[in-house]
Amino acid sequence: MRILVIEDDSLLGDAIQSGLRELGYAVDWIKDGIAADAAISAHGYSAVVLDLGLPRLSGLELLHRIRSRNDRTPVLILTARDGVEDRIKGLDTGADDYLAKPFDMGELAARLRAISRRASGQVESVVRLAGIELDPAAHRVVFRGQPVALSPREFALLEALMRRPGRVLTRPQLEQTLYAWGEEIESNAVEVHIHHLRRKLAPESIQTVRGVGYLIARDNDG
Amino acid sequence: MSGSLKARLLALALAATVAVWAATIAFAWIDARKEIDELLDAHLAQAASLLIAQTSGEVEEIDIEHAPLLHKAARRVAFQLWENGEHLRLHSVNSPQTPLGSSIEGFSDRVVDGKAWRVFTAWNASHEILIHVGERADVRKELAQELAEGLVGPLLIALPVLALLLWVAVNRGLRPLVVLTDEVSKREPDNLAPIEAGRTPREVAPVIHQINRLFNRIDRSLELERRFTADAAHELRTPVAAIKAQAQVAKMASGEDTRNHAIDLVLAGADRAARLVEQLLTLARLDSAGRNLLQPTDLRKLAVMVIADLVPSASNKRVSLELTEDEGSVVPAIPGLLEVLLQNLIDNAIRHSSEGSTVVVRAAPDGEGALFSVTDNGPGIPATERESVFHRFYRLPEAGEGGSGLGLSIVAQIAEIHGARVRLADPPTGTGLEVTVNFPRRSAKSGI
Repeated sequence: MRILVIEDDSLLGDAIQSGLRELGYAVDWIKDGIAADAAISAHGYSAVVLDLGLPRLSGLELLHRIRSRNDRTPVLILTARDGVEDRIKGLDTGADDYLAKPFDMGELAARLRAISRRASGQVESVVRLAGIELDPAAHRVVFRGQPVALSPREFALLEALMRRPGRVLTRPQLEQTLYAWGEEIESNAVEVHIHHLRRKLAPESIQTVRGVGYLIARDNDG
Repeated sequence: MSGSLKARLLALALAATVAVWAATIAFAWIDARKEIDELLDAHLAQAASLLIAQTSGEVEEIDIEHAPLLHKAARRVAFQLWENGEHLRLHSVNSPQTPLGSSIEGFSDRVVDGKAWRVFTAWNASHEILIHVGERADVRKELAQELAEGLVGPLLIALPVLALLLWVAVNRGLRPLVVLTDEVSKREPDNLAPIEAGRTPREVAPVIHQINRLFNRIDRSLELERRFTADAAHELRTPVAAIKAQAQVAKMASGEDTRNHAIDLVLAGADRAARLVEQLLTLARLDSAGRNLLQPTDLRKLAVMVIADLVPSASNKRVSLELTEDEGSVVPAIPGLLEVLLQNLIDNAIRHSSEGSTVVVRAAPDGEGALFSVTDNGPGIPATERESVFHRFYRLPEAGEGGSGLGLSIVAQIAEIHGARVRLADPPTGTGLEVTVNFPRRSAKSGI
């Protein structure tokens, strides 16, 4: 899961980024609204954490812009203003959830998982596909009844593939899932992680479409 | 002021009534006495002339010696006939034997046998018979007294009735005041809506107007206070959120580096929250600062002191501080507040300066007044933002770390307390910001 944090306060932004990274997410952090607008249209984020009091472009304006171009990226508003009217305004502008400062890091992560799950049309938090059970909240994978130990990046890669069953994800798309900006992308990283995943699960679990990318087939497809 | 307005009105009205009544009665009584005197005197004279007419012939023919009393009031009236003024020839029953009067004609007041008489004396035409007709003086007194009692009596009964009527009238007249009192006393403390003027009389309307003005002022200052408290609370939430989040990161961190970094930021967050609280307290103190405590303060000396305090933090950033050579100037100021102003401006300049640059401070006389200025070579403030930066909690988009958005609003408020003006401008050379505070006049002690 790749998450964008839009927060102008450096201490808080740093904390959210580090915290979510510790929980295994790829996190980008932007301090102003206009840059955030560009980033959201350029990358497909699983969820966005949006502070309302931003310089240059306020959080609500940014949200309005995103929604008016029909972008459905899940957005969680994070703000010091948590009056009922503020919340109503935020939700009506198109936010998916609302969290007031100060907050609990675990709750923030859970809410982000929830909105991104709802956005991809899943109701259950546990994803089941091709004999694999993936629990994003617990960061746990069970294959054919046996728990499988995965590194955070292997987990992120598997989750990305399982959330779009039957669809091919390209290597750059998968890299985006794994790495936030500024992180050095190791060459062949995706191939290496896929290799490890096939070894820990089953070789046929992940299919390769040569020259394009990888996919996990839908259960009824095969 | 104390006591009841009603009681006062009632007492005044009653006193006025009683005074007028008393004066009326006094005049009536004096007038009545005079009238009675004239009337009874006329009767005496008439009685005398009747007697003279009857004695125009022979005195012997008059058969009215010891004339009988025809009426009980007649007992008070007596007459005497003296032949040649020497022999008492005839007198009424109640007449004393001694002469009632002298031989001089006309009215006289005399005391005979210990009793006061009003006497009319006359001679007949032939000057042979002297006639005294007398009347006991106490008759007149009694008559006047009866008359006065007749006047006062009804009044004594009327007075309580009048008092009662006045009480009712005063109550009805003061009803608008009672209504107003009710309206104000029944209010909840947070109800500061204006009082309906409605059909209030002219005398009460100004009171209501003033009360409403007061309500309005209180309401506005409460609203400001509420907003400020809300803003302050919200501003505090962000550093608190950062502290909490960083602490959680430290707790779940897998690596030593991440943990140490998070703990450092927990401390930084706590520092920032503390600074914000400090500035909020400064603002709260400013709100209640007395403006009459201005005392002659040496601007230059204060600047030297503040600069000395800030040198360590400046050298941490490798920024040098410089105070230009100028004459000293003494301004009327609250020293503690002026120090905060200088501190904020110089501290701001240091924080926005680039490494290796110099912050130039000036404290100098300026016409009738004095000026204090701080110049840095930092990013400056765009002309369009120069007004907004004085608003509480306003931060520039590019503002660096740790800014609370309160520093310049504190400066502005302190300047206002001192009647000084703050201007933001581009420095004469290069980039940066020049903040100038103009004090309108120097203190009397500066020798101007």
